[in-house]
Amino acid sequence: MNIYQRINHLLDVPSTDPEDARRRKLLNIILSVFIVLGILLTLYLVWSFFTTSRAVWNKGAGSLFGATVGLLAFSILLFVLNRYLHGWVTSGLFLILLTIGITLGDDPIQLVAGRSVFLFVMPIILAGVLMPSWATIVAAALDIAIMAYLAAQLHDPNIVMTPTYLGLAFIVLLAWLSSRSVEVSLRDLRKLNRELDQRVAQRTKELADALSRERIESGRTKAILDSIADGVIVFDLDGKSIIANPSLLHLLDMQYGEVINTSIKNLSQSKFLDTFNRGLLNNILSNPSAKASNYHIQWGKKDISVTCAPVLDRDGDPIGTVAVFRDYTHEAEVEKMKTTFLAIVSHELRTPLNAIMGYAEMLKEAVYGPVNDKQGRASERIMTNSHRLLDIVSDLLDKAQMEAGKLSLHLQSFRPADLVENVHSVMDKIAADKNLSLTSELDPNLPEFLVGDIARLQQILVNLITNSVKFTEKGSVHMCISKTDPDHWLLRITDTGIGISDEDLPTIFEAFHQVDSTTTRKHGGFGLGLSIVKQLAELMEGDVSVESKLGVGSNFSVLLPLIKAKRSES
Amino acid sequence: MTDLGLVIEDDEDLAFIFSEALENADYQVETLRDGLSAQRRLFEVVPQLVILDMHVPIISGEDILKQIRSDERLHNTVIVMATADARLGEAYTDIADFVLIKPIAFTQLRDLTARLHSI
Repeated sequence: MNIYQRINHLLDVPSTDPEDARRRKLLNIILSVFIVLGILLTLYLVWSFFTTSRAVWNKGAGSLFGATVGLLAFSILLFVLNRYLHGWVTSGLFLILLTIGITLGDDPIQLVAGRSVFLFVMPIILAGVLMPSWATIVAAALDIAIMAYLAAQLHDPNIVMTPTYLGLAFIVLLAWLSSRSVEVSLRDLRKLNRELDQRVAQRTKELADALSRERIESGRTKAILDSIADGVIVFDLDGKSIIANPSLLHLLDMQYGEVINTSIKNLSQSKFLDTFNRGLLNNILSNPSAKASNYHIQWGKKDISVTCAPVLDRDGDPIGTVAVFRDYTHEAEVEKMKTTFLAIVSHELRTPLNAIMGYAEMLKEAVYGPVNDKQGRASERIMTNSHRLLDIVSDLLDKAQMEAGKLSLHLQSFRPADLVENVHSVMDKIAADKNLSLTSELDPNLPEFLVGDIARLQQILVNLITNSVKFTEKGSVHMCISKTDPDHWLLRITDTGIGISDEDLPTIFEAFHQVDSTTTRKHGGFGLGLSIVKQLAELMEGDVSVESKLGVGSNFSVLLPLIKAKRSES
Repeated sequence: MTDLGLVIEDDEDLAFIFSEALENADYQVETLRDGLSAQRRLFEVVPQLVILDMHVPIISGEDILKQIRSDERLHNTVIVMATADARLGEAYTDIADFVLIKPIAFTQLRDLTARLHSI
């Protein structure tokens, strides 16, 4: 604590009212000046008492010494009282004592009309400084009363007090005005201060509330993230990871430090990924899609599905990316088992069916001697039904392979004319069995050679024609293959069948659609044919559509991208 | 002397139906149920016709196919491949003389093999 702080500390007054504290401190300063002056004067008088002659000293130095000691004593007393009493009390007391001191300090003539008139100004100004503004008026009234009294005691007709009173009144006015203006500005300041304080307090409270809400919210979010089994990672707009949950670390076999604060590029370069999966993961995370899309990556020995979506703020602006990693190793195994199972089952089903068909055909062909008509027809029924069963098994296997994503296209160049011919060779007999004609039309504008999977294209046409034949009792089924524009070609099957109602149209391409309706019993089939057509068309990046009118017929179209063969094959 | 036809097929019923078809087409038929016995037999006889299933035990149909094609004695042997897998069948159209996709109809095989006598 330096000397300035020490003095400041000594002068400070314990008061809760800042205005009172200010006044009392001011009084302390004035009293300190008085005390210092008193001490110096006392020392001087003591010194002069011993150095000057007694004659000079007696001439009033004794009374000056008494006054000085009195002043010193009162100043110290007031200084002490100022610590404990209200400012007004000590200040009032001080002003009264000051006024008494002034009154007794000089001759009455000097006080009212001579050299020390101005001394009466002191208590007035001090009143304005130490006490509320009205105190200046009280002090002035007291001074004027004393001066009037003293003037009256002098009985001197030469003394005219009016100019003195007017002067005093003017000083009072100035003192009152300055005191008042300080008071008013201080009050305004304090009011402003109070409002500011209130506002700060309110804001602080709001901030604290928001912070605690935020803390609760983020705590809850963290708890959720920590407890879900899927791995979650969040990247900011710069592609830097800012959040990663424990499941992610477990899933990726990585430490928190390796995953957090890292870039998409870095994460995609993990040692657990091969070159293909590195590129794939980088692509997935760099292009978040609002549509939920699942990608499968191989992370070490694990099969992981990744879904990536943009994080949007309230205005819908992207503020980052969130990716969810899910371990589907087990599901992948199950999926694989399912495919294997289906392959085995379909093989196991097909082999005895082949045998049944073979034996039935041998009977019908009279390999073991002649059969009568009924026996022949029975053999034929066995063959037909075995064929149907075989088709169902094939459809089921195709469907399962498509769903497992295992079905791939075998692209090769082929002649559209061959496609038409192949379809005829399979379907002509089936149509003829129902007394229907199967006609076809090949657009001459089509290139002689196209690129595609001819077996799957044939499957599309066979399925569509089978469907049309199934629902057509009389008339025809027409197959048209044409070029619609330089980039597309169209397969269209038109029939004169029973048609499809408007409410059934949207679901016609769904798997097992037919199973739900009563048509199965009448028309047979499994309801898989059209759904396979749709899936095959989608695999070929094409599109299926249907138009139909009840009782008139249906029109199935498959629009496919046209890929011309680079070289024509002989 | 009747032509010899070998049926190499592991499924008992299919082997029976194939051999019936061949007998109906006037072949003397031998049936072999696995790749190894087929391989051994092919060192001993010179068949005019082989019906070869791609999926036979021990030694695969593909290996038998290669063996026949590399054996000078068997350069006149006609090979009819039988498979349920159309894609697999396509791969052998250049090596085998005929590729039939299962299910193979009795009449289809009988009529085809009957025509082969004259080749």
